[in-house]
Amino acid sequence: MLQVSDINFYYDTKRALENVTFTVEEGEFFGVIGPNGSGKTTLLRCVSGIFKPQSGTVHFSGSNLQNLSKRDVAKNVAMVPQSSSINFAFTALEIVMMGRNPHVSRFRMENQRDYKIAENAMKLTNTEHLAPRLISTLSGGEQQRVIIARALAQEPKLMLLDEPTVHLDISHQLGIMELIRKLNKDNGITIIAVFHDLNLAAQYCDRLMLMENGKVASIGNTSQVLTSENIRKAYHVNVLVKEHPLTSSLYMIPFSSIVQKPMTNEVNIHIICGGGSGAPLMKMLYDRGYNLTAGVLNVLDSDYEIAASLSIPTVEEAPFSQITKESYKRNLDFILNSNIVIVANALFGKGNLKNLEAAKTAADHNIPIILVESTPFAERNFAGKEGKALYDEIKKRATLTQKLEDVLNMIPIVNKRNE
Amino acid sequence: MLVTIVLAIAVGSSPIPVYDVMTSLLSKIPGLENLFSFTHPSDWARTQSIIFGIRLPIVLLGALVGASLAVSGTCMQGLFRNPMADPFVIGISAGAALGAVIALALERVYTINATYVAPFFAFAGALGAVLLVYGISRVGGSVPVETLLLAGVAVAAFLSAVTSVVVYAYSGEVIRVFFWMAGSLGAAKWIDVMTVLPICVIGTILLFFFSRDLNGVVLGEETAQTLGIDVETTKKIILVISSLITASAVATSGTIGFVGLITPHIMRHFVGPDHRILIPSSAVAGGIFLIWCDAIARTIIEVPVAMITALFGAPFFIYLLLRRKRSM
Repeated sequence: MLQVSDINFYYDTKRALENVTFTVEEGEFFGVIGPNGSGKTTLLRCVSGIFKPQSGTVHFSGSNLQNLSKRDVAKNVAMVPQSSSINFAFTALEIVMMGRNPHVSRFRMENQRDYKIAENAMKLTNTEHLAPRLISTLSGGEQQRVIIARALAQEPKLMLLDEPTVHLDISHQLGIMELIRKLNKDNGITIIAVFHDLNLAAQYCDRLMLMENGKVASIGNTSQVLTSENIRKAYHVNVLVKEHPLTSSLYMIPFSSIVQKPMTNEVNIHIICGGGSGAPLMKMLYDRGYNLTAGVLNVLDSDYEIAASLSIPTVEEAPFSQITKESYKRNLDFILNSNIVIVANALFGKGNLKNLEAAKTAADHNIPIILVESTPFAERNFAGKEGKALYDEIKKRATLTQKLEDVLNMIPIVNKRNE
Repeated sequence: MLVTIVLAIAVGSSPIPVYDVMTSLLSKIPGLENLFSFTHPSDWARTQSIIFGIRLPIVLLGALVGASLAVSGTCMQGLFRNPMADPFVIGISAGAALGAVIALALERVYTINATYVAPFFAFAGALGAVLLVYGISRVGGSVPVETLLLAGVAVAAFLSAVTSVVVYAYSGEVIRVFFWMAGSLGAAKWIDVMTVLPICVIGTILLFFFSRDLNGVVLGEETAQTLGIDVETTKKIILVISSLITASAVATSGTIGFVGLITPHIMRHFVGPDHRILIPSSAVAGGIFLIWCDAIARTIIEVPVAMITALFGAPFFIYLLLRRKRSM
């Protein structure tokens, strides 16, 4: 339905879009995401015909947008802009009727049919009761619905929305999104929408396009685009990408913005953790720029997810499985390559007893160990005597701390012993 | 409107009974010539000459000039999305005045008739002024209130100075020209009415056809484009026509301010912001407003009508500024 081929757009000399190419099929719900200034809004303006790209073409249903008159474009493509502050005292109905403009010639008045269409648009957007009210007296959510009704009155095949839920509270956000989905699924209107909220985009869009510095960074279905790797590159934040338990759509939890790694931190640290005990440690040390490894961790363990989203090399094990010989060996390779091993305040049972064994082996190789013991080991020991014996042995040779924050201070001290 | 015309003809330095005015006017309608041909007062001939020779052209010109300025102001306010816009405030009138004065000056040098040529010169001056102000005050894609007012005042002041220079340099009749420039309907003749009439009527009708586009532009230029409006073309056409009708008004009656500012505001209050209703109703209201201002100017104190409109308009302008300040 829409083919954007290799468009470039400049504001004066500043390039805002660089070789942007993509296709949107009829009936799709297509989302555009990307950090501020990445060219999302500019792209919408090019697609809606407001801006003319300096090179490249935009084809709508086979015809070049530039060969169509403004009026013909408006009969097919409607735009819901980011902010619509209207200072003049128009009523909601008058605003919606303006959507009929491309269909009504200059020298005739709107007829019964035009009013019927506007009325339907207001029914669909649940704004009928607002018709006689002044637009300026409506709430943000109501205004947005009226603007969407105006776009509907254009009877468009394609609707462009620029951050349709910005400035709205969470219930109005969902209300607007449900409305747009309804227009997409029930009325067959193709949707291209720009989003700031990645979670909303993930929940509603069929496909996503991630933009970065005016270029297409990634395009595809939500799981292809919304990876922690892509988000880190574009937004410079670390996020945890998870599947929503109810809607099965992806959602993201941001947890840190990326700090420039100091060049001097050449200390390799291996972290033995599990069940969330290692997450704060990993984040803290990652922010300081230490070279981290972790393991052995079960896939699905929350520590595993954090390690993965920070791209920390991790020895992994299948969910709910005991640590196998192979994993143990690979973990030992990591440990023997590290300057320090940190044993987090994790629970230990039969399944991960091998991690304690590995820590003891580290001690045998004179690798300094920092032992975090926020709660007594007896409360965390599900591996019986065997576990206690190993732990006590490690504790004898380790530097002990109860507080996580102390770890940062200990690292340089402990590390000196290596030299 | 008709009532206003009749009453405004009646008042003046020598009042005429309203009944006489009505019978005089009605007797001019074909078929009614003999309806009122009964006994006339002794000074009937004098009354007739006052009505048709002096008062009627003044009142009709007042209606046309008022309508022109009000329509022009309505369109400017919509186009600039700025309730402070008005042909007087943003310098169009000053540009038109300069053009008209240059025409008067040339009349003394070449054998041309300023009455016919002045509107064209005024139009050129008006268009030049509006392009200049628009160019100066445009920031990015929009025209902010502050820069528009400042640019308008600056350009108007400059053009007025040039006008004064032209007047002193080329015209012996300084007093008469200044009286005209001050904005007065007092010298109105039928020829003035006939010059303004077609421009005002055709201009207003043309602008009316662009009123839906103007509604769109009010929502923002980008929104207007997505509604299928060719914004750049619309802007140019509306600017040119508005300048044209302002120019014809200025060429005949000088710079009369604030009609274009107040009228659209008051009418927007009554009929709403839809330009399809706003433009015609502003035209009528502007005409009525100026006729009454002129009636006051002729009877209570003998001054140019522009001083009366300024007496109403300037406080209104300040009120608008204050209200804007409060809303910020």
